[in-house]
Amino acid sequence: MKTILSFLKPYRKRLLFISLIMIADVGGSLLVPTITANMINLAVSQADLSDILVQGIWMLGIALLSGGLTLLGSWLCARLSADFGRDLRVALYDKTLSFSTTDFETFGTASIITRTLNDINVLQQSLMNVLQLVLPVPVMCALGIFFSFSIHRDMGFLILGATFLVLAAALLIIRKAARIFELLQSFLDRMNVVLRENLTGVRVIRAFRKETHEIKRMRKSFEDYAISAIQANRLFAGLDCLATVVINLTIVAILYLGGNQIGTGSMKVGDITAVTEYAIWILFYVMMAQMVILLVPRAMTCMRRICAVLNHTPEIKDGTGQSGSGAGPEIFRFDHVSFRFADADENTLSDLSFSCEKGKTTAIIGGTGSGKSTIAKLLLRFHDVTAGQITLKGTDIRSLPQSELRSAISYIPQRAWLFSGTIEENLRYGNPDATREDLIRALKTAQADFVLDLPGGLKSHVSQGGTNFSGGQRQRLSIARSLVKPADLYVFDDSFSALDFQTDAALRHALQEEITEAGLLIIAQRISTILHADQILVLNEGQIAGIGRHEELMETCPIYRDIAHSQMKGGN
Amino acid sequence: MSENQNQETTGFLEEEALKIRDARSTLLRFFRSIGRQKVRLLIVLLSVACYTAFNIAAPLYSARVVDLIWNRVQEMWNKGQSFHITWEYGGRQIFLLLLLYGTGALFYVLQNFLMASFAERLSLQLRSEVGEKLQRLPLSFFDGHQPGQVMSHITNDLDKMSEALQTGMIRFFVAVGTVIGSIVMMFRFSVTLTLVFLFFTGITLLLTRKLSHYTLQTAIRRQEAVGALNGLVEESYTGRAVIQAFQQEKESLKKVTDAANDLAKASRDADFLISAINPGIRMINRFGMVVITVLGGGMLLRGTMTPGVFQAFFQYINQAGEPITELSYMLNSMQSALASVERVYTLLDEEEISSDPADPALPSDPVRGSVCFSHVRFGYTPERILMQDVSFEARPGQKIAIVGSTGAGKTTLVNLLMRFYETDGGQILLDGQDTGSMTRADLRGAFGMVLQDAWLFEGTIAENIAYGRPDASREEIIAAAKAARADFFIRTLPHGYETVLSNDADNISIGQRQLLTIARVFLCDPKILILDEATSSVDTRTELEIGSAMQALMQGRTSFVIAHRLSTIVDADLILVMQHGTIIETGNHRELLNAGGAYARLYNSQFA
Repeated sequence: MKTILSFLKPYRKRLLFISLIMIADVGGSLLVPTITANMINLAVSQADLSDILVQGIWMLGIALLSGGLTLLGSWLCARLSADFGRDLRVALYDKTLSFSTTDFETFGTASIITRTLNDINVLQQSLMNVLQLVLPVPVMCALGIFFSFSIHRDMGFLILGATFLVLAAALLIIRKAARIFELLQSFLDRMNVVLRENLTGVRVIRAFRKETHEIKRMRKSFEDYAISAIQANRLFAGLDCLATVVINLTIVAILYLGGNQIGTGSMKVGDITAVTEYAIWILFYVMMAQMVILLVPRAMTCMRRICAVLNHTPEIKDGTGQSGSGAGPEIFRFDHVSFRFADADENTLSDLSFSCEKGKTTAIIGGTGSGKSTIAKLLLRFHDVTAGQITLKGTDIRSLPQSELRSAISYIPQRAWLFSGTIEENLRYGNPDATREDLIRALKTAQADFVLDLPGGLKSHVSQGGTNFSGGQRQRLSIARSLVKPADLYVFDDSFSALDFQTDAALRHALQEEITEAGLLIIAQRISTILHADQILVLNEGQIAGIGRHEELMETCPIYRDIAHSQMKGGN
Repeated sequence: MSENQNQETTGFLEEEALKIRDARSTLLRFFRSIGRQKVRLLIVLLSVACYTAFNIAAPLYSARVVDLIWNRVQEMWNKGQSFHITWEYGGRQIFLLLLLYGTGALFYVLQNFLMASFAERLSLQLRSEVGEKLQRLPLSFFDGHQPGQVMSHITNDLDKMSEALQTGMIRFFVAVGTVIGSIVMMFRFSVTLTLVFLFFTGITLLLTRKLSHYTLQTAIRRQEAVGALNGLVEESYTGRAVIQAFQQEKESLKKVTDAANDLAKASRDADFLISAINPGIRMINRFGMVVITVLGGGMLLRGTMTPGVFQAFFQYINQAGEPITELSYMLNSMQSALASVERVYTLLDEEEISSDPADPALPSDPVRGSVCFSHVRFGYTPERILMQDVSFEARPGQKIAIVGSTGAGKTTLVNLLMRFYETDGGQILLDGQDTGSMTRADLRGAFGMVLQDAWLFEGTIAENIAYGRPDASREEIIAAAKAARADFFIRTLPHGYETVLSNDADNISIGQRQLLTIARVFLCDPKILILDEATSSVDTRTELEIGSAMQALMQGRTSFVIAHRLSTIVDADLILVMQHGTIIETGNHRELLNAGGAYARLYNSQFA
């Protein structure tokens, strides 16, 4: 709550202004019937037509003023909530940029997207609704009761009583409805999940002959939803009916009490119209606010979810040190590194020691869950090691600024991801100053010179994620992008698997020629990809099962031999 | 996906949403759907009529009461006495008015509570019908429709119908009745004042029509800004690792800030227009009120109008004013609800799979596992036949590999084997029996299938593994997981076998999901296996382990394997090389290599 309120702080003056306008608006709404009553009173007491006209002009003025102020208020509310939403979005996004992979996965990508877009949208709309529809309620109630008292004490008490009755009932029902609404939302989610599963899993469902089971599962989720929805509807109907009854009773009571007061001359006949209008206005505002307040629990949920991101302490902290001079051949060294996910019972990586050197190719091979991709993530500090240390030219990477660490590495992720825009923009991603020649050389090395044959060439359009290119093309473009970036170490995180064997081979040859100064770290599944590496790490269940060149490992490492045989069987 | 509700389904943006192809027959069918709830609906409609009548009558009567009291007051004053309400003067009338209001409220309560469950029940009924329908639709339906689109028919469309019935319908009928009734009454009281009222109402109607154009425009602009931001944010989060690895945080933040700014501007305009409409209308109505009060005041002064009538006239203005401006909106939403219902009916009318034969042949017991394609002819559409004449035989226990590039039609074979699609000619035989003469369920019982997309449902890992055999014991489940090499990673998860899988959670990897689907099949112990590229994301070593485990398991069982990896194909008894939807080469690894065809070219590139 505090976190969110701090986002409203810069707009304190605007909020105050909006409140003032609102009071004026409510006052105007109540003055109109008051003047109407005056007119009736004047008319029945045989005043002049000019008196009535004067009242009419007053009324016109108030209607104009109050209407104008309301429009101004709407504009200010819309602007305030839009700015508030924007500030939150930017803050949230900014925050996520400092997140490590673990930080991010605590929330999940889909969930963070929802939080940035839908949740903030809900908050933004709620803020506007609260400002426009809830905030005026106490003012309306207070002023309405005050105006009634100023007509006659009895009328005042009557309206006071009616207001309390409606408010109490509304609060009671809202409290109940909030629970039902939360339930309803979760049932709606559940319904969507089950439906999606049925639509996407139709082959599996039929293969396992689970049609009847799925019908039951769907039916259950539909029923749960319907039952909750009916409960919610009944509550609404209840409140709606209650409000109707209260307003009718109030009108009758006004007539009865008012009639007696008119009889004694302490009230005038037009006052009945005025008080009736006050009652209707109060009820109208309460009912409108009630609809909004019902959505507040949902907004609170969204708010909690947003705050969870905003208040999350990033796992990775920036260091301030400087990396060593780098005179020797060694770039990175893993020194007895172990890693365990916060919620896991077992280490993902245990006691790894090896180093990557300039001009040398280091390769890592191993099974799913053997932890090979985690190595790349540790290197980039998407995670931090749980034991041991990783050094860059002799300095522990945790004592370096992340920007310095990452500028030493050019990383090619397992899943090639391109950004929407042009190919050129994508290639320049890690090096805005690269020349056209640099780009073309990188494309050629990455076997991605197909780009030059495209009608748009380097200016060809890339759609989000790069989906207008095939998986292999995307991967080659992603490799080209990383080659444009100057770095000490190029990390290929299983980036060859989407390539066919021929391209894989050609690319490896080209890389060998192109990258002579920097080091290469290749994480792979195919033996053929890493056959010629200077050192090969065989990873098995998080531990090094062997380290050496291909020929050595074929002799000494049974796991490596297994992999090799399975892949090369029948080849010779 | 559970959190990802598409809340920007602003129906009015899509012209499509309003299109009704055949309103008459849809309405008729809708009334049939209402079925047993018809009586309920009838009572509601009657109650609405009564309520409206009482609503119209009440102000009229209250006008009388006020006038009666006022006349009596003046009478008494003239006599120099003060007035008190007695049963005779005022009391009886006020009591009657109370009765009038009370009865009206009674009808109101009745209709509201009857309707509270009416719409949801109807929607539940239709939803369940669609749910059952889904299980009877052919695979071509699922392959040809986006899941999101079908889902929106079942959720959004029916919710829209529900809402339109729930509040829209009652409000609509009450509004129509009230508006007509009130205007008639107003004309009875004063033609001039009514004409003034109608004049100002006309202005508000014109204004809302004019504004709705702008509202639509700003809404579209906002929608575009939302789309742009959505795209950018999705892209940035998915590519987060790249942004961080390339240190593009600042640039990326700037892009998001710009998009957020655009959205803020667009939504400010859109929100303002939407929230300004009502106060705007109210302001114009107030101008009308001013004119009416001044004119009415004059009439009061001249004595051509009584205070009671004056007051009642205002009540009618209140009653009629708001609904008039809302009528077109209500009509719109009812129309769109009808269009929604029509879409649901269209879904319900989709062609279903052919029914199973009345006297089905039973598969041999136990199934031996011989599968034979005999002159099979097939195409997804009759105009484009893919397989002209395919024949091959898989003997019990054999391993059949299906090879070919993407789009070569490898999954077509699976579709035919499982009868997800029916052949256009020829026969597929299981142990010598035409599969078309069996029930689909019996046929599929003989198969176990692992698909590429690793479908799992939201539930625990144990439940997912036991999907095909809900009665399996925990020991059997663990044994299956061990056989699929999934036990290791499952035990590293915080909740082990009780870990709940959700479809958007990244808590397990694609490879791990596939291991689970493999475990699921292990547990079922089927006679014939279909592996649809199941190993494409599982690394070679695990693949090898699964391969050997499977071979042990499949002694005397048949398997069909679709894979990119040549290593899995090498020991196949029969390789089917596919291209353009049909089989171009058959044979084992040696034979095909020696033949020097497409297969040989593919294989030799591995060690270039």
